[in-house]
Amino acid sequence: MKNEKMLIVDNRLIAAGTYEMTLAGTLVSEISRPGAFLHVAVPGEDLVLRRPISIASVDHEGGSCTLIFKDVGAGTERLARCHPGDRVDVLGPLGQQGFPVDEPYAADDVLLIGGGVGVPPLYYAACELAGRGVSVSVILGFQTTSAIFYEEQFRELPGCDVRIMTDDGSYGQKGTVIEAFEERGKRPDWLFSCGPRGMLRAVEKAGMHPHTKGYVSLEERMGCGVGVCLACVCETEDRSSYRKICRDGPVFPFKEVLL
Amino acid sequence: MMRDPRLEVTLPGLPMKNPLMPASGCFAFGREYAELYDLNELGAIAIKGTTGTARLGNPTPRVAETPSGMLNAIGLQNPGAKGVRDEELPFLETYDVPVLANVSGSRPEEYVDVVKTLTDAPNVGAFELNISCPNVKEGGIHFGTDPAAAAELTKEVKRVSTKPVYVKLSPNVTDVTAIARAVEGAGADGLSLINTLLGTRIDWETRKPVLANEKGGLSGPAIKPIALRMIYDVRQVTDLPIIGMGGIQSTEDVIEFMLAGVDAVAVGTANFSNPFACPNIIRELPAWLERLGVEHIRHLRGQGEAAV
Repeated sequence: MKNEKMLIVDNRLIAAGTYEMTLAGTLVSEISRPGAFLHVAVPGEDLVLRRPISIASVDHEGGSCTLIFKDVGAGTERLARCHPGDRVDVLGPLGQQGFPVDEPYAADDVLLIGGGVGVPPLYYAACELAGRGVSVSVILGFQTTSAIFYEEQFRELPGCDVRIMTDDGSYGQKGTVIEAFEERGKRPDWLFSCGPRGMLRAVEKAGMHPHTKGYVSLEERMGCGVGVCLACVCETEDRSSYRKICRDGPVFPFKEVLL
Repeated sequence: MMRDPRLEVTLPGLPMKNPLMPASGCFAFGREYAELYDLNELGAIAIKGTTGTARLGNPTPRVAETPSGMLNAIGLQNPGAKGVRDEELPFLETYDVPVLANVSGSRPEEYVDVVKTLTDAPNVGAFELNISCPNVKEGGIHFGTDPAAAAELTKEVKRVSTKPVYVKLSPNVTDVTAIARAVEGAGADGLSLINTLLGTRIDWETRKPVLANEKGGLSGPAIKPIALRMIYDVRQVTDLPIIGMGGIQSTEDVIEFMLAGVDAVAVGTANFSNPFACPNIIRELPAWLERLGVEHIRHLRGQGEAAV
């Protein structure tokens, strides 16, 4: 983990209210796990909490990485207005547990289910899996056509099968990622998921085959991002204790946490 | 880092290399920040509020941002006194830094129980009684708002403690000096102030409080002027050592707290935005002393008072 004023190489609107920010800096060399996130300070003095944003891709040779975030409030709005050439204060990479992209075999059935701004860490995971010669199936859910991003990027990955679901049916297939999951008819060996909590619960409820190794990336309002303040905890499945999302995760086996 | 004798301050139970410590609840038990810098740089470490038995804390969301500050309602999640004694304090013992053990509870017996469990730990230099946690039911806030209850609790803890006892004062009172005097009369060795201010935020979309706990403690730069005012007032009525806290972010803030009358300071929320806040401030202090033309940092104590 480093604290660095990273250079904004690019910052562009890629879907409704959704921005893709490319950052350059030395901490890129430490990014190794899909699921890892950067804790980004908002320019200005009045917003004291950093914004945790998951990494969508990393270019180790070029020394840059991309973050995708949605403009949902005062902080992300200010980040959206940053220009190339500006610098942002970044702490990271954070998160000690990512998606286990090194484990699936090439012949394994690997399914990625993402919703909205939960899609970025899955793209990073898909890139790593594709790089290892593992084919992946991807089901992505968005509200409507204008919210869709990274469809092409996923399709460009070798062996990547992409299915887009929209709530209003304006693109792809009308329905939820759960419907696509159920229609798919077979249970994957690996399932990586990230998205709204309700979607994750539905994925779990849709029934994971006992042999499916399921992992979920969680988000929560965070304070420190390093496991000190205990703001972003989640309950364990047996409700006996908490896990820190920022430090113990943000990726957990489905069966470990209570969604 | 070189030791600078101009920064050394000695408070009851806390021989400090410099007047700076991370505030309770903003540093856990040191393990995470120990990965970032050498904890030996710190003057002392105030550990996370410890209760008699382990507590899981409140449901999430536990934090909400506010203008120049934040609300938290963690709810005293901690491993309990025995867990702290057996698992956390031994780790901190590997550093040459005194620990200020923050003690919380629902009943006086619980405070006493925690102090009994921790008082013989070699690196616990002193206790800080959290009589002002706003985030748990019966979280001690009652002791912080009633001078008689605060004094009684102080007395009971003093009876079993082999270490000096600081009382952490709540700002959620009409007259903080009344509580300060009461606990001084009961034998407190020092004071720390201020704890967080009770606040809330409401989400206009859900029409519900943002925090699952509905209300939480406000911290950060937003509360700095209030902290300074309360310290200033308390310094007028007591000569007890004071550990000052409330929105400290910079070296300049530390100087300002010193001038208001504190003997040492604690940095809280600033750790979250900048994990290097404490060592950065410590490294900048010598230059500030030179700029101000003072030979030792203690010479600033209370020098900001109006001429009488």
